[in-house]
This record gives sequence, structure tokens and C-alpha cells, in this order.
Amino acid sequence: MDLGPFERDNSVSCRLASQIPDVCRTEDCCLGIDEAGRGPVLGPMVYGICFCPVSKKQELKDSKVADSKTLTEAERENLFEKLDEAKSYVGWALQILSPNTISTSMLQRTKYNLNALSHDTAIGLVQYALDNGVQLKEVFVDTVGPADKYEDKLSKLFPGIEVTVRPKADSLFPIVSAASICAKVARDRVVKGWNFSEDLGGVDTDYGSGYPNDPKTKAWLLKYLDPVFGYPQFVRFSWSTAQTLMDSKGVTVHWDDDDEDGEKAAQRKNNKSMLSYFSASAGSNDQNPTHQTHRFFTDRRLKSLDTL
Amino acid sequence: MHLFLFWAGYSLSVTDYRRPKVYSLCGSRFYQTKKKRWRDNLDATNRPDSVIDTQKHDSDPAFVRLRNPSTDAASLYMLGSGDVQLFEVKAFDEDFHSWFVGQTVQRDGRLLFVTPMDPLYLILPYLIKSGREGKFQPVDQVVMDEEFPACSRLLSCTRSLTSLHHITEEKEVGKLKFHRYSQEKTMDWLKKKVERTVIVLKKRNISVGERVKSTTYIRVKSESDYHEEDYLRYAHGLISEYISEDLSKALLKHLQLPELTSPKETEPPTKKRKLSDNPVEAGEDYTKFNSADFVRKPPKKMTAAQKSLAKVDKSGMKPMSSFFSPKVKSEKK
Repeated sequence: MDLGPFERDNSVSCRLASQIPDVCRTEDCCLGIDEAGRGPVLGPMVYGICFCPVSKKQELKDSKVADSKTLTEAERENLFEKLDEAKSYVGWALQILSPNTISTSMLQRTKYNLNALSHDTAIGLVQYALDNGVQLKEVFVDTVGPADKYEDKLSKLFPGIEVTVRPKADSLFPIVSAASICAKVARDRVVKGWNFSEDLGGVDTDYGSGYPNDPKTKAWLLKYLDPVFGYPQFVRFSWSTAQTLMDSKGVTVHWDDDDEDGEKAAQRKNNKSMLSYFSASAGSNDQNPTHQTHRFFTDRRLKSLDTL
Repeated sequence: MHLFLFWAGYSLSVTDYRRPKVYSLCGSRFYQTKKKRWRDNLDATNRPDSVIDTQKHDSDPAFVRLRNPSTDAASLYMLGSGDVQLFEVKAFDEDFHSWFVGQTVQRDGRLLFVTPMDPLYLILPYLIKSGREGKFQPVDQVVMDEEFPACSRLLSCTRSLTSLHHITEEKEVGKLKFHRYSQEKTMDWLKKKVERTVIVLKKRNISVGERVKSTTYIRVKSESDYHEEDYLRYAHGLISEYISEDLSKALLKHLQLPELTSPKETEPPTKKRKLSDNPVEAGEDYTKFNSADFVRKPPKKMTAAQKSLAKVDKSGMKPMSSFFSPKVKSEKK
């Protein structure tokens, strides 16, 4: 697995893929989808697909691929090696969603939540397989959100393919287990060798599991909090763990789409009481009731000053 | 931004400015353009031998608080290169902005513009005030303000004394000059300002018509569709930012622009109008004598709906027919 393309720019989403085995273009194939790194506040989320001819299912089962969570890191690496050896009939593709992509998607003006991001990534990978001529007949997915809704959505998008969305799919279907191993191995490698684009000077890489409840992760987040910028791009800003820390320890930053309420916000925004519109002097300038700045200046947000 | 300010400074001066000096500031940090040397040299050659020239010639520009002629309150100005030039200070100030300056963060995203300004605007209120006495006075005795002592420095601006004749009558006794405020001269001077502003408004394609709030909004009207009056009124509004309200009204008359009555000033009547129970009748109605049936018919009783309609307050409402009459064209100048 060559992580080079992602490591060159780890701020964006990146796709890595194996060669498409020739048999997959001619024989009916099954495909498994799984993800790794959904929960952590640190590092990327990796989506993986694995596909092989339906006829090779048993061989895959015999290679003892299992749910990546039940395996040690060494075992996972081992199994990934095996999958790589079987490249004559097993193909895989990965989508690495950088923490920066996750942050900016979830925090943008029109919010794009993690479930939608997950679904779209999964759909993108299935489409990738189809575009490359893989004869897909069955797709197995570990669920994200309500299973039946997701299944419906995928079935409609890919007519003619039998879609099975099932919780714990990674322990039920070997092809999903294989996908989960690919995803997990990629995530582990990316996190271990994360290239910090920020100049942090001898960064402490002992950040634990990256999950919000890990004390090591928490300590690391506290250590690398910048009052102005918050965190390096390695951190998912949209996670409440990161947000709470930034709110309490960092400088307050206001955005124009902040959902603020209360009197303070109203005052800051210069909102008027509803009642003021009914009084006689409605619409006048508070500072000087007789003087109204010309629209040339107000349109351009230009003001006179009395002090610097 | 620079573009607009370029013309703002440009249009408000009587004699043409070749190039205004635009200083941009971030907070208290102050950057000057490279043009400074060039401008200063130029100014030095143009400088009259001023009597009040006590300021150092090459001293740094200084911010001063002076009386804003329009609001009568303090506003920030800048006197440059030894008080020979006056600049007004405007801040671009919008919510949710901040600056990264080098390795620091500046919390407000303000951008200060320091643009050339005609000192006569600031001198004018003092002359008007003393003009009420009707006497010719030396101008340095007039331009005095306890609240803003820096105002006397305005007189050392290159163009102050040389352009006073635009707004005053002058008398010379020996080497001393005496001035008296002249409303007519001032009106003519301001009218010129408005006309010059109109020229720049057209040149810069400033939208002077109906308010367009969005910058992405594409105007269907082309600039040529704007009436001269729109430009005049807009320019008048701009100049009014630099003069008192009284003067602004007088200028409007001088420009022969009718005053606009904004609809929000018309308040609804405090009391409901009392309706008489008698039907409305013409005071003198001769038609009834001409008609064949001389006997007047008794007034018809109104239905409940008609009664309630009659009670509606129609004050300030246009009659239905007015919407169908041809539009009265605004007088073109």
C-alpha cells in the first residue's frame, strides 16, 4: 500500500486503489464496504471497499479475515499481506478523508454531517468499482445510521445490485471484514506517520488512540491548543471534544453564521427591540437623531472615527 | 475600496488633486506609501509663505480631533507634512472581520482610509458663526475653538488662506486681510463641488438610482438611464456629509432640487376622525334646481358594509384614479 499520494497533501480527501483483478471484470463479483476511524478526534477517517468474484468467497473465508476490531495490529498487517498476495482475484480501494476534510465539511456554512459524508464516500467507492468494469452483483455494507434507509438509498442508486446493509456486517461477511482490514491498516499507517504541515517543532507523537475518552489524547489536545488557531489539521475541529477545549482555553472567535442568542448577542449585533419600530422616531440613528450618514458611506461600511 | 476613496478625495477639492495619498492603517500601525517623498517635495514648491507657518516642515503626519461640520461632534482628521495638508479619516468597519498582521492578530477588521480633504469644509462653520456679527475679521481670530484647539492649525494648510475667497468677502488693509462670511459665495462654491462630484460619480459608475443593496445584483438599468437629478441629489447628499444641516437645505434650494418628503415622516393622526351622521352634501348645489324632479329624494340609507367602509381612515391615501393618470415627469435640469 503506497500512502504517498495522501502524504504529499494530507489536508484533502485522497483515493488509493489496488489493481483491478482481471477476473473481476468478467465474473460476477461481491463487494464489501467498511470504515475505520469514525470516532476519534484525531486523524483521518478511512473508507475501504474490497471486491472479489462471488465464486472466490470461500477462499476469502479460509484466509481467516475477521472483524478488524478483534485483531491485533500485527495480525491486521499480516492479513493485509495475504490480501495483497491474493491480488489475482481480490481488489480494494480506499478513500482517506483527512481530518481537515471532515472539519470543513461539518463546520461549513451549509452543514454536511458525518453520516452524509460517509454515505457519499461509500457511494463514490462503489461507483469507482463500477467505472472500472467490476461486475458487481452483491454489495455488503456495515451500517451507518438506520440500516433500512441506507439500504434503500443504495439500492435505488445502484439498480441491479443486491445491497445488504447490516449492523456488524464486518463480522458476518468475509468481504466486509477484508474491507475493514484495508481501511484500518491504512488509517493506522497514516496516523503513525502523520506529517504535520504546521511548524510545531519536534511534535510529541504520543497522542494515544485518538479517541476522545483516551486520557493521553486529552492531554495531547491540551498541550497543542493554540489560543488563536486552535489545533493542527490533524485534529477534527468539528468534534465536541476539540470545540469545548477551544471555547474554554482559546480566544473567542465570532463567525457571521454563528447561532447566537440572548441579550448580549442582540446588543453586539445592534439589534433593535421590536417595540422600537412602533415609536415615533423609528429608524433613526441612535447616536445623532438628526444626522443620517449618506448611503454612499453606509453602503460601503465607512464610518467617521472620533478616536483611533 | 481604494478606488472609491480615490475619487472621494478627488471630488471634494476645488483645485484638482493630482494623486491623493492613501494611507492604510491597521489599528495603530501606520504605513505610508512610497509616494510620500514625492508629494512632500511637490507640496513644498506649492507652499505659500504662510504667516501661521509655525509647524516643522517635515514633521510626521498627526491625527487630530476636530469638529465635524456635519455632526458638530468630534471626528478624527489628520494633518500631514507640517500641517499643509488635511486628510479625513474613515474606517471600513464591518462585523466579523479581523486582520492577520505579520505575526500578530488584530481583533477588529477595520481598515482606515486617510484621504485628502478640503480644509474649507472645517473652517466654514467658524466663519458662519462669526458671520452673524456681520463684521470683517482676521480669520485667525475666527477659527478658534476651546473644545478643539487644534482647529487653528487648519489655517496653515496650503489651500486654506488661498481659497478663503470662495466663501468670504475679503478686505485688505495694509498687509492684513479681513474676511466676512458670504452665503451667496458659499452656495456657488458648494454648487461647484456638487457638479464636480457628479462628474466623478458618472466616471466611476457609482449607482445613484434606486438603492441596490447586493453587489451581485446586476442592474438592468444602464447608467445613461439615470436622470441628471438623481446624480445631483446623490452628489448633494455626499457633500452634505461635510456641511451643516442648514447649509445642506440651503444648498438643495440653490440647486433647485425639490425637497423629498419621506413617507415615514407622515404620522398617522392621533385621533380617529369623527364622522358626522348627516350625509355629505355640497354646500351650494344648483343642479337640483335644473332637474325635472324638483323635489329632493330623501338620502338613501347606507348598508352596514357601506357604513363600515365609510369609517375607514383614508387620510394620506391616494384616490384610486391617481394610479391611472399619466406620471408627472420630474423637471429636468
